[in-house]
Amino acid sequence: MSRVTFQSLILKLQNFWAERGCIIETPLDLEVGAGTMHPATFLRVLGPEPWKVGYVQPSRRPADGRYGDNPFRLGKHYQFQVILKPSPLEVQDLYLDSLRALGLDLTRHDIRFEEDNWESPTLGAWGVGWQILLDGMEITQFTYFQQAGGIDLAPMSAEITYGLERLTMFLARQSSVFDIDWTPGVPYGAVRKQDEYEFSKYYFEQADVDMHWKLFEMYEGESRRCLDAKLVLPAYDWTLKCSHVFNTLDARGAVSVTERVGVIKRVRELAVRCAEQYLEARRELGFPLLQATSPG
Amino acid sequence: MADYFFELLTEEIPAWMHDAAMATLRERLGKLASELGSDANGVTVSTTPRRIVFLLKNLRLREEDREQEVKGPPKKAAFDASNQPTQALHGFLKKQNATLDDVIDSGDAYVMIRKKVTGRETSAVLQERIPELIEGIRWPKMMRWGNGEHSYIRPIHSVVSILEGEHLPIAIFGTQSGVQTVGHRTLSQRKPFNVASYNDYVTKLELSRVIVDPLRRREVMVHRARALANEIEGIPSADGSIWAQWQYLTEYPGLVRAEFRRDYLALPEEVLVTVMRVHQKQLPIRDRHDRLTNYFLAVLDNDGDPDGNAAYGNSFVTNARFADAQFFYETDRRRKLEERLEQLSHLQFQEKLGNYLDKTKRIEQIAKGIADDPDAALAAHLCKTDLVTEMVKEFTDLQGQVGGIYAREEGLPENVWQAIYDHYQPVSLGDALPRNIAGAAVSLADRIDTLAGFFSVGAKPTGSKDPFGLRRAAQGVVQILLNRDKREIRIGIDKLIDLGIEAYAGNTGNTGNANVKDDLLAFFAERVRTILEASQVWKFAYDEIAAAMEAGWASSLTDLVDRINAVKAVRDEASFLSVLDSAKRIANITEGHAETEPDAALFEHDAEKSLLAALGSLKLNDAIAARDYRGALASFASLAPALETFFKDVMVNVEDEAVRRNRMSLLRKVGGAVRQIADVTKIVVDRRDYRA
Repeated sequence: MSRVTFQSLILKLQNFWAERGCIIETPLDLEVGAGTMHPATFLRVLGPEPWKVGYVQPSRRPADGRYGDNPFRLGKHYQFQVILKPSPLEVQDLYLDSLRALGLDLTRHDIRFEEDNWESPTLGAWGVGWQILLDGMEITQFTYFQQAGGIDLAPMSAEITYGLERLTMFLARQSSVFDIDWTPGVPYGAVRKQDEYEFSKYYFEQADVDMHWKLFEMYEGESRRCLDAKLVLPAYDWTLKCSHVFNTLDARGAVSVTERVGVIKRVRELAVRCAEQYLEARRELGFPLLQATSPG
Repeated sequence: MADYFFELLTEEIPAWMHDAAMATLRERLGKLASELGSDANGVTVSTTPRRIVFLLKNLRLREEDREQEVKGPPKKAAFDASNQPTQALHGFLKKQNATLDDVIDSGDAYVMIRKKVTGRETSAVLQERIPELIEGIRWPKMMRWGNGEHSYIRPIHSVVSILEGEHLPIAIFGTQSGVQTVGHRTLSQRKPFNVASYNDYVTKLELSRVIVDPLRRREVMVHRARALANEIEGIPSADGSIWAQWQYLTEYPGLVRAEFRRDYLALPEEVLVTVMRVHQKQLPIRDRHDRLTNYFLAVLDNDGDPDGNAAYGNSFVTNARFADAQFFYETDRRRKLEERLEQLSHLQFQEKLGNYLDKTKRIEQIAKGIADDPDAALAAHLCKTDLVTEMVKEFTDLQGQVGGIYAREEGLPENVWQAIYDHYQPVSLGDALPRNIAGAAVSLADRIDTLAGFFSVGAKPTGSKDPFGLRRAAQGVVQILLNRDKREIRIGIDKLIDLGIEAYAGNTGNTGNANVKDDLLAFFAERVRTILEASQVWKFAYDEIAAAMEAGWASSLTDLVDRINAVKAVRDEASFLSVLDSAKRIANITEGHAETEPDAALFEHDAEKSLLAALGSLKLNDAIAARDYRGALASFASLAPALETFFKDVMVNVEDEAVRRNRMSLLRKVGGAVRQIADVTKIVVDRRDYRA
């Protein structure tokens, strides 16, 4: 296998899924904790319209930051996210083909699908699925979405989330994420280590707690105002901002156990309203993607 | 005779669900097989991670013909005045496809027919029953897929259904059966192939890198585990639970030996083992002296690891987890457990029941009431502090153990660290109890605090729902109190409940629910009964338990066990019938009578005097006080002649109320002696068993 780089992995996955009829979306230009929160997943899995998409999503998890000191943990990592709706029966084989496309000879590796269900209290969403282990290491989360925004889904979506750094590290046999090549000659650490340090410092030590609580209130208010004005996509943006502000406050240790439940509930209420309104808006539009010719 | 073979191809079913699903299938298929002239021995069920497979052997080709009785219209409506069949009867017969000859005498007011029912072809029965049976499995967590019409454990891919070499068409959730299947996901060609029979299937799958029988997969791995461990002069850790998981995580079993950095061996063994077993599903390798080595085994869905990929990958993840664990360990040890108490006030126990510092104070108070022991007091004080350590935040199943380890490293007395370490024990029925009295006291205090608290805010378990594990908490209390070795704690459940309720006095969350004690007593009674009935050591019968519990249980469980043992020992003795008959007779005659001391002055018959004298000479109460319950029951039996004479000579229900009441009191006194041991009238006897 030729030298595996972070970038080559992204390009190969994009090509692979593009060839299988997926739209290649771009990352959401807001701070989110996972690719699932991108409207291309959270909103598109609702309702009857078919949808196939793949995209990279930078995922910020303030509490996971380690100042760039830990070889495995990052405050921001990159996911490659795929949604196939309705979930095709051969979806696991498609996934295995994507690994083959990365150059893996699967007869010489151990691949296993071990139960790992997913639940997001902030999104009112849950699914059933597996963590996919390559030679004992989790490289992908696979989920059959069952509910989003408190709404029972049909048709069902399969979500495939590749952890790009982990996969590159493993394929390149590097023992630190900072040592993998982004592209030959440019290590990941050279590109990212500074922001791992600065954002860890910021989220853990510097973030202005009062300001963030104020922001939370403001974002929440604005999201509600948008919902009342029937502007669901802006409302959803503000919901995501609430979620990130909450994660920041949490990393800063500013949310007590009792408060936590309450704040999560507030974000979920927004997400649930967004989901309901999005579905309604698509219905009013006549579910356009039902008419579109199915790609691929 | 015919054989039926079935395969359902699905996607990876969670490992922990296989055993229960197979047991359910075996039971239901056994029933079906016996209806079709075979039996449970003709049923073979296997699963792989993504297959459910079964074989039914030696089925009849069709069901047996049988006779069926059907109730018809009332005779009054079926026959007219001249006893001729009416239209109503003809209609019924027509509907039932029967004739007048089929009408039999039912002996009641309705017409009855007995008709012959021709047995159906086995193929038809299977076509109806197999889909019902497979679709009807209740998986613990179901999902929908594709268009979302069906709900099952995982999406259904294909169905093989073969009766006697021929395809028997059926459909599972709309997936039509066939005679084709596929082999291993990555180790065989993706092309489907035909199978003709079960044996053909097992052989072809093996060639396609799938071993169908889970026990064979397990054997292969057990063998390989020993060999791989032996190469480095080690032994695989004994651990039944890992094998039960591994056999359902692979279709083509293999193992790899991998290693972690030696310096991680300095971490507490419990942490290393938990990370490997619980988080990584790996099996540690020990050396000849039972010490942990830095080698471990991991399962593969592949029979080998030719390029060392799996060895590399498994080492990689395990080293990463241990790096985290080491970080937590070093961070945690900078602060003593005592210094963490204040932090517990930020950790909520339950919305209305305060935080873990509040709980700690209650545990301390209750533990003091259970055992006045300085070690128990210190252990109670510190038992929850590990909840705010990084280690327990990450590895929650190590709660208690981590506190114990840190307490040991701080140099606290052995009794104290062991008590902290053990206080969540026993977790299940087979689990070990706390090693010392301090541990037992803290475990009891913690549990009764939780129970009294949750009951007081109305959070009782209902039906199968028990989100806070209250049944398990109560079960642990019973297990600890039933124990009678050197760790024995002499407290009754009633006293323990009082301590639990008292600890909440003044608590703001206490709703003052007045029924808490009664509710808890009823809840515990159920646990006591269940545990005693399930005990394989004692093998008590349910009626023995019920009889002895009727005489009280809440003040001492060990005493209860002694009394049950006494009942169990005497119930098969010939004299037991007289104990039982006397007790029953006394209970009937004296029902509703308020007990008083019998007055000898009111006696009119010698039989009354001699019964009282006989009772006095038995020293029943002395025997009971000495807990010689068996002796007490035996001597009670010896009262039979005196009672016999009494009942023969003395009429209890006489006009004179004083005399009547006095006789009842005398009988009550006699009966009461034995009722302190058990209500023997609850014992179910089959009189034929007794040979006098």
